[in-house]
Amino acid sequence: MTRVRVTAPRSSAAAPARLPYSRELAENSDVGQVFVRSLIRSQLRLGLVVACGFLVIVAAFALVLAFGPGVAGTRILGIPLDWLLIGAGIYPVIGLSAWLYNRAAARNEARYCDLAEDR
Amino acid sequence: MNPAVGLAAFVAVSLATAAIGFYGLRISRTTSDFYVASRTVPPWWNASAIGGEYLSAASFLGVAGLILLSGTDALWFPVGYTAGYLMLLLFVAAPLRRSGAYTIPDFTEARLESKAVRRVTSLVVVAVGWLYIVPQLHGAALTIRISTGLPSWVGSVAVVVVVCLTVVAGGMRSITFVQAFQYWLKLTALAVPVVFLLLVLAGGQTEAAAGLEANPTQLPAAGPYQNISLMVALLFGTLGLPHVLVRFYTNPDGQSARRTTLIVLGLLSVFYLFPTISGALGRVFAPELARSGQADALVLLLPGRLVGGTAGELLSALVVAGAFAAFLSTTSGLVVSLAGVISQDVLGGSVRGFRLAALLAAVVPLGFAFLTDSLALAASVGLVFAFTASTICPVLLLGIWWRGLSDAGAIAGMATGAVLCGGAMVSSALLGPGNSPVWLAQPAAWTVPAAFAVMVLVSRATRKRVPRNVVRVMTRLHVPERPVATER
Repeated sequence: MTRVRVTAPRSSAAAPARLPYSRELAENSDVGQVFVRSLIRSQLRLGLVVACGFLVIVAAFALVLAFGPGVAGTRILGIPLDWLLIGAGIYPVIGLSAWLYNRAAARNEARYCDLAEDR
Repeated sequence: MNPAVGLAAFVAVSLATAAIGFYGLRISRTTSDFYVASRTVPPWWNASAIGGEYLSAASFLGVAGLILLSGTDALWFPVGYTAGYLMLLLFVAAPLRRSGAYTIPDFTEARLESKAVRRVTSLVVVAVGWLYIVPQLHGAALTIRISTGLPSWVGSVAVVVVVCLTVVAGGMRSITFVQAFQYWLKLTALAVPVVFLLLVLAGGQTEAAAGLEANPTQLPAAGPYQNISLMVALLFGTLGLPHVLVRFYTNPDGQSARRTTLIVLGLLSVFYLFPTISGALGRVFAPELARSGQADALVLLLPGRLVGGTAGELLSALVVAGAFAAFLSTTSGLVVSLAGVISQDVLGGSVRGFRLAALLAAVVPLGFAFLTDSLALAASVGLVFAFTASTICPVLLLGIWWRGLSDAGAIAGMATGAVLCGGAMVSSALLGPGNSPVWLAQPAAWTVPAAFAVMVLVSRATRKRVPRNVVRVMTRLHVPERPVATER
């Protein structure tokens, strides 16, 4: 191996290497483009659904804490409920959303690859 | 606090950083080693490195300080910092990895086929980076003053000197390993004292709850507008941070970029429990720090106050070490990515250019840090997030998901966001804290939609300027790298 000097990110380095066969196909044919568009649409829809779901849950947390009857004085193990819910309760929701998203996104891609290769 | 302990902690962290940095020199051989660690970094290392770079002064000191000051309202800060990575996962992680771009200007140039867009993006990235380094230096100034009693400027200068030396000497080649080490150091430095304090203080919970709910200062509670605006800034600001993108390139493909992000979310969730508990402990046992304007120093002072003696000194040393790990890792990550952008676009990309750019990237914010006064650390970093959310976030999101984006639209949108958000930041700083209306103090809720709207409208009006390679680029961004048939 030879040593090279690296100074700055080279934008030429971003140029694509040879694309895999399925991708060349995808770029060059009309049918391929239909598949690509549908993949992009389904990934975007998935992202939006997960994001909205997460935001709805967070908003529900906030609303319950602000207006829920009897929430103000509630304590669990001596810790006020709002501290517990916002301080620790939201993180599992974030993790779960991320995990579900990863599975679904990988499934979308697998479905695309099946379609693109079956032709 | 014993000055020698603080100094020893700082020196130890700097030496460890430099040592790990230089050790990595041996395994860096090629360009791709340097930038992407030959893509052989396991997801755990990579996720730790992302966490290490991301958890800055604001997370280490600022969150606990803000919780001490404003209680439950401040709990939204760590939630937003973490959820920002969720947004990054949903909309940016895999496509950005597949784009093959090393920096955000690389991405916008490739996507929009325009040098002008590249230049505007570079300007914005440099502004974001500088704005983000300033609170790190404020944090360092505070830490040095509290832990050693030396004048504040020593802290900022020390961080800039250590970062410049390591970056200029090439010691940041194994940046992935350095950053991963810093994550675990930061986690230990916060978790050990907190667990120790909880054990010492076990019992007496009923008075604790009353202390949590008491307001140590006369600050009014935040209204719904402030909380929503803050969440907009944090959720959409994270995905535009300049030092985050290059870390994602270390993943071999889009899928593993998503897996890494999932681990990062776990690491951040675990980390943020500790500043939250620290803040809560501070509210119960040290509310006078809030009144004396030392809220940001809470994490540093808590062990000494509640434990004392040799144990307290040792815990304090650990916390000081963690704090400096936070300043060093975030600052060096930012300086490396800024130096890349500056040297590429201004200085022609030579070795000397890179070194000069690194100095420039670190010294300019040092000047800012001397001129400005430290606000609450978490709040000033929140403003930087508002700025990224109004400038870089729209161009990334629309560039990745919308074929209709044109170069004119991208430039107009970024300019709108920068002017509106920057204007709001400057005018609320001039009005002074407490005097500026909430919509100026927390501008993200209106500047982010404005930037998106301008970007879409101008792109619509300049449809002819949509680049012709859009089909090719969009395919590259979204189609999985390998035929997945082998994976089933």
